[in-house]
This record gives sequence, C-alpha cells and structure tokens, in this order.
Amino acid sequence: MRLRKLSQLFFLGLFLALFLWTRREFYLNPAAGSGLKGKLVNLPLQLDPLVMTAQIFASRTLLPAAALALITIGFTLLLGRVWCGWFCPIGTVLDWVPVRSWKKIQPRIPEGFRSIKFILLLVILIAAALTNLSLLILDPLTIGYRTLTAAVWPALDKGITALELSLLKVPVLIPAVSTFDSLIRPAIFPPHPAVYRFGLLYFGFFAALVGLNALAPRFWCRYLCPLGGLLGGLGKFSLVHCEISESCTQCGNCLPSCPTGAIQKGERVFCDPGECTMCLTCAVDCPTGQVSFPARSTTFLQQPYDLDRRKALISLGTAAVGVGLLESGWLSSGHSPILIRPPGAENEVLLSTCIRCGECSTVCPTNAIQMSVLEGGPEGFWTPVVVPRIGYCDYSCRACGQVCPVDALPTLTLEEKRQQVIGKAEIDQDRCLPWAENTECIVCEEMCPIPDKAIELEIVDIQTATGEWKVIQRPKVIQQLCIGCGICENKCPAAGEAAIRIITHKHEGQSGGRKHRGTGNS
Amino acid sequence: MTEFSRRNFLRLLAASLGSLGSFYLAGCLDQSKLLSKSISADKIASTPFLADPTALEVSPGLEAGGSEVDLSTSTPSPTLSLPVLAVARGGEPEEMVRTAVRALGGMERFVKAGDVVVVKPNICVAYHTYEYAATTNPWVVGAVVKMALEAGAKKVKVLDFPFGGSAEQAYQISGIQEIVNQAGGKMVVMSGIKFIETSIPSGKNLKTARIYDDVLRADVLINVPIAKNHELARLTLGMKNLMGVIYNRPAMHASLGQRLADLSTRVRSHLVIVDAVRMLMAHGPTGGNLSDVRKADTIIASPNIVSADSYAATLFGIDPEELTYIKKGVEMGLGSGKISEMKIEEINLG
Repeated sequence: MRLRKLSQLFFLGLFLALFLWTRREFYLNPAAGSGLKGKLVNLPLQLDPLVMTAQIFASRTLLPAAALALITIGFTLLLGRVWCGWFCPIGTVLDWVPVRSWKKIQPRIPEGFRSIKFILLLVILIAAALTNLSLLILDPLTIGYRTLTAAVWPALDKGITALELSLLKVPVLIPAVSTFDSLIRPAIFPPHPAVYRFGLLYFGFFAALVGLNALAPRFWCRYLCPLGGLLGGLGKFSLVHCEISESCTQCGNCLPSCPTGAIQKGERVFCDPGECTMCLTCAVDCPTGQVSFPARSTTFLQQPYDLDRRKALISLGTAAVGVGLLESGWLSSGHSPILIRPPGAENEVLLSTCIRCGECSTVCPTNAIQMSVLEGGPEGFWTPVVVPRIGYCDYSCRACGQVCPVDALPTLTLEEKRQQVIGKAEIDQDRCLPWAENTECIVCEEMCPIPDKAIELEIVDIQTATGEWKVIQRPKVIQQLCIGCGICENKCPAAGEAAIRIITHKHEGQSGGRKHRGTGNS
Repeated sequence: MTEFSRRNFLRLLAASLGSLGSFYLAGCLDQSKLLSKSISADKIASTPFLADPTALEVSPGLEAGGSEVDLSTSTPSPTLSLPVLAVARGGEPEEMVRTAVRALGGMERFVKAGDVVVVKPNICVAYHTYEYAATTNPWVVGAVVKMALEAGAKKVKVLDFPFGGSAEQAYQISGIQEIVNQAGGKMVVMSGIKFIETSIPSGKNLKTARIYDDVLRADVLINVPIAKNHELARLTLGMKNLMGVIYNRPAMHASLGQRLADLSTRVRSHLVIVDAVRMLMAHGPTGGNLSDVRKADTIIASPNIVSADSYAATLFGIDPEELTYIKKGVEMGLGSGKISEMKIEEINLG
C-alpha cells in the first residue's frame, strides 16, 4: 500500500519535474537543444496508448516514439490497469482529494455510467480514423499538461510576483526581495511573468473533474476517462488480476473500500478486472484474507456496462455525425483572419496531427503560442495559435517544433524557421501614430528582425493642424519580406489593439467579417 | 482554546499596530535617505560639470546609491591633466581597450578595490553573432571585465535586457557569455520585477523611471555600447544604450532625445567605452547583413558620456549636434558635443 503511494508520488513528481525541466530547458535555449532533449520530456505522452493510437490513425504516419506506448499496453496485459492506480498523475490527484467528508450527499450512480468511457474511447478512435483528433482534449495527460501550463504555473508565478512587488514597496526589503528573486528566476519561473489566456477555463475544467469526486471516489476514472476505457478493455485480459475466493464470507468490507467500485456483489462478490486499478486496498481490508492476485488467465466476463454491438454502433454514429458536422463547417464561424499557426504548421495538417497537449505553449519563451479557444473553431479547440499581442514569434527560437511529441509542428533548422511565413503585417493607418497623429514613432521598424527590414520608413513633409511643417517617418510594410513574426504588433505602443497587426496570409480575401485595411495607397 | 477576551483583543491590536508603525517608520527612514541622495545628485548636475567633466568621475557610486561621498573632500586630483577622451585604433579589441583606458589614467581611476561593477554592453537581440555588429564585441566586454577585476573589483556583473529573444540566448549567441565567463565576470539575467521606481531629480521630461536594482546598487557602471544605426535616434551609442536598464522602453520613444539625457543624469556611466571595432551602418539596431557592417577597429573611451557619443558620431560622418540626445545632453550641462573643444588622446596601434 505504501509502495503504491510512493509510486504515485514518484510519478507525479516525475511529471512535474519533466514539465519544469522542459520549460527551463527551452526558455534558456530556444534555438539549440538536441532532438533527444525535446523528445525526452514527452515521455509521459509517448507512454499514453490512447494518444499514440489516435494520432497514428489520424495522421496516417507511424511515429517511432509511439512504440513506447507498447510498454504500457504490455504492462496492462500483464498486470491490469496499473497505469491508473500507480502511475497516472491525474489519477493520483483524484486519489488524494478528500471526498469522504461529503459522503452524506453521495448519490447512487447507475452502473451503466461506466460505459461512457468505452463509448468515448470508441468515438475518439473512430473520429481519429476519420482524421479528427478534437476529442483528445479529454485524454488525462493532455488535461494535466494544459492545466499545469495555462492555469497552475502562471497562477503560482503571478501570486509570487504580486507578493514580491508589494514587498518591494517597502524600501528596506528591496535587497532581500531582490536576492530571493534571483533564486527563483529564471530557475523556476521565467524572468517575465508568463501570460496565458483563459486560465480560469483550464482551471475550471480541472476543478470540475476533481469536483466530480464528490459524487463518487475517482468519478473521472470510473465513468469518463477514455484512456481508462482503453486500459480497462485490455485489463479484462490481464494475466494477474484480483480474485476473491469461493470461501468468501460475503462480509462486504471490500465493496466500499474499492476506489473504482470494481468489486461488485452479484450472486457472490467478484471483481471486474476491467475496472480494477490494482491498488490492493481490498487485499488489505479483507478480514479473512480471501482476496488474492494470482497470475492465471481466466475467462472474460462481459458486464452489462461493457461494450456491446449497440454501444459500438452508437459510437460509430456519434463519431461519423460529429466529424461530418465539424467538416461541413456548419459549427464554425469560418476562418478567422487571426488564426496564426506556429511556424511550419499548415492548418489542415495540424488539425489531424495535433494531440492538444499544449507542450508547445508550455515552452514558447515569449508566450506567443496560446491554446485556441475561439480562433480555431470547435474542431481546433485547444490547438496552438500565435497571439502576437501577447508574445511575438522569436526570430531565434524553434522550441515549439522541437518539443512537439508528434511532429504536428515540424522540427525546423534556424535557417528554415527564419523563412517560415506565418502571417503578414498590416498597418492600420487610422491608428498608427505617425500616420494618424503625425507623432514620431518607429518602434515597428526598429523591432523588425528581418536583415533588410520588412518595414520601411517613408520620409514625408507634412503640415500639422497648427500649420507648421514637419518631417516625419511613416512605416510601411514590405509584404515580400514580412514573415509575420509579430514583434511589431507585440511592441506597437498604440493603446489597446496594436496599429500594426498580423493577419493570416493564406486566407486573404476569403475572410468574412473583417475588412482588410490597405498598407499602402489609401 | 481560551475565550477571546477584550483584553486579548486590545493586546493583539496594539501589537499589530506597533509592527505596522515600525514598518512605516523604516520606510520613511529610507525615503529620507533617498531624498538626501537626490539632493546631492542635483548639486552635481549644477556644479563643476561643464567646466571640467573629468573631475566628476571621482565620485563613483554616488548616483548609483552606493557609498556616501562628500564632494568637498574630493581632491582636485591629477586627473585634470588627463584627456577627456581616448581613442585607440588598429589593434586587437582587448589591446585597444587597454590602451584607451590606460590613456585615461587606468581602470584604477574608475574601479576601487572591493567595488561591485556593472558592465552594460549592448546585447539587444538574440539573432546574430558578433560579426553582424548588432551586439557589442565580446572581446571588448571581456577586456573590460578583466581590467575591472584587475583593479580589485569584488564582483563584475554583465547584463542587458534584450527586446528580441531571451536574455540567455542573446548572451550565448552574441558570444559575450563565453568570453565574460572566461574573464571571471558574471552574466546576470535581468528579472522583470527588479526594476525599482526611481525619481530623476534633474530630469526635464522624464521625472521617474523604473530602473534595474543591480544597476542602482552598483558602485561603478561601465557602459559598453556598440556604434550602430537607428532610425529614430539616428545612432545608438552610450546614452541610448542605457535604455536597457529601464523597464518601460516604448514610453521613451516620445521625445527620445530629452528623455535619454534625463536618464543619463540618474544612471551615471562612470566610464563609457564605445565599441567601433565593427560598426552597423544600416538596418539597425537589429542588423543581419554583413554588407551593412564596416570594420573600423576603433575603441573610444571616456568618463563623459556626451563626449564619447559625440566622438563616435563623427565616425559615421555625422555632426554630433545633429543628434537630439547629444544636443539635449549638452543643454543640460552633461558634457560638450564639440570635438574641437575636447582634450583627446588618439593612439594608433596598427
């Protein structure tokens, strides 16, 4: 028992350590970094058979790293759902959230709910075969990464920063705070507090998942988790499994102590190996020692909540109709002119390869990569999108392509990255300071990283409202040179929305709502 | 737990008020210290500045808020006979730096034993290696670090706040990190929260700025800009290089010249070494074309930032008074922009 706790603690720690290491590694050196470094940090995801299978189905390519998922499958066939009970970081968190105090309100959940996870699993796999990966947002590991990246870590960072800033207002404390700060930055937090949109959304999603524990222990693992469904299906055939002997006294001690309710009372007490997470609690709790875990294959017992033909057909129908609806575009609001993908990613390819883990967003040192909520439509929910006003795509960085566990973002050399056009800058002459107010400003030109400058300054003599003549430099975008990195939009001193913005170059003329303002002859 | 009586409540109240009060008092104490400092800074700006810019360097750390210095005791010093500005040409970077600083009286004149020295090169982007002349030559920075340590500095910190790319990466790509580490200096990654709101008493347009704590607390600041093209300031030199130690840079762009001059009154560069080994003639400040780079093999050293910038401007064939920040600096009495009026020592090594 203690061993299991230690294992859970160790793997949760490892998950966090890899997460922190990834951030730090790529923050420190976003241009270099070997392939191995980039891939090693994704070990948890590569061990996840659901993510890997769906990805292979949808992308129609076989990733060598996906072979690692066979380890998990092997373990499951041998020992049952040990992943869920001993490794999974989300399972660990759910295990440790106290629910007993709320037990008074615990309602009876129909056993049939268990089939949700199997149906979800099938829907994900069938949709993946139809090249759609939208539902991978429900994989526990991607949930873990997203929550850490966009909610937990920024919240910690912001909290500590706020504390530091308020202490800095007391002059005597400045040296102490300053020393403390150099200990935690850049070791644990980035030098500038990270910015992630919709932190509350990610936190809320995770909180809801934890909150469901109030209804039943490990509610998520029992009824919903599609990875649990996959491992449960395999676990039915596991060699080692929980067995309750014939001489069981039917005292029922084990029934409530099983965290996933795998032990059930039919004609006699039995354990469903598809639901059992091998936590061994029952063996400890049994007063007469009737529970054993022999390595012996048994016959497969179909439970009413397991997959049957009817459920499989429901899944097939749901997946087909769902993918059809998404493909038809009926659900989406059309291409957004600000749907800017990270360098090297084509929108269509990205949608069928991205597993929605958010690792690219984790490592993006400028926070340019955010997870799409509105830009990408429902099919692109939580796929990476560059938001230049939050962060620019650094001319010397290629971290996202290196960290991506499934090559949805290609690994580029620095030279290739510098050629990648992700969008084009457009100046809004109604808001740009030199154009609209005859004020001196060249920030966009100054910041432009292109060696020949994709922004040129036109020198004009103008007469101000008061009648004086003035020489002023006005920026103009040279479309052929612009790669859309967005540092101009990011640093534009115009208040609120920038006066120079990056627009997707592929969809020019197609976009519906927004009228494109010209960059030149107005 | 015992009942929470009225007496206990009053005790608690008194204790918390007492601790709050002492905090407040401590705060006031420090504020008044700051005030006295800024008064002395004012004194400096109005006293012997124009007449003899070289006499100023005898008070390292005054502006930076380190040690208390009494102006009256500062000796009229042998520095009077030394040049305001030294130029070395045609040698290896380190050789040129050493020669130029020696002509000014040696690094010992600026760095005293036990001083904490901050070296501020220009490492504005993480895009290119030093050959592209967007960042200060690493061997120039290395030489400065070595000389400061040789003069007895306790610690030499090298820092900048790049606008394009991360600091670590910029430090690496520019080559400065490697050379500084070899020289025994420390590259410091600037943290976004350590910029302290600081008043600029002599400022005309810029009255306060958030300035980096390490720079404020340093005993000596050595400013090591690279001579570069910049479309708004025309050139980025020593005064422009100081923008790297303040937080809100976009705000500087309106009336840049005056604000840079204002900033120079608060963040004093005790020694300015302009790296013109390679000069970026166009497409600055980011660079990226070797055809925009001119190899000039020149090092300019001066304790006076306006003089150093003025001389550097002439290397581009630009009249110093045409640069607004030099003009404003001269107006504020920070130094002279007229090359003909300066005592200059030029040394050819090649």
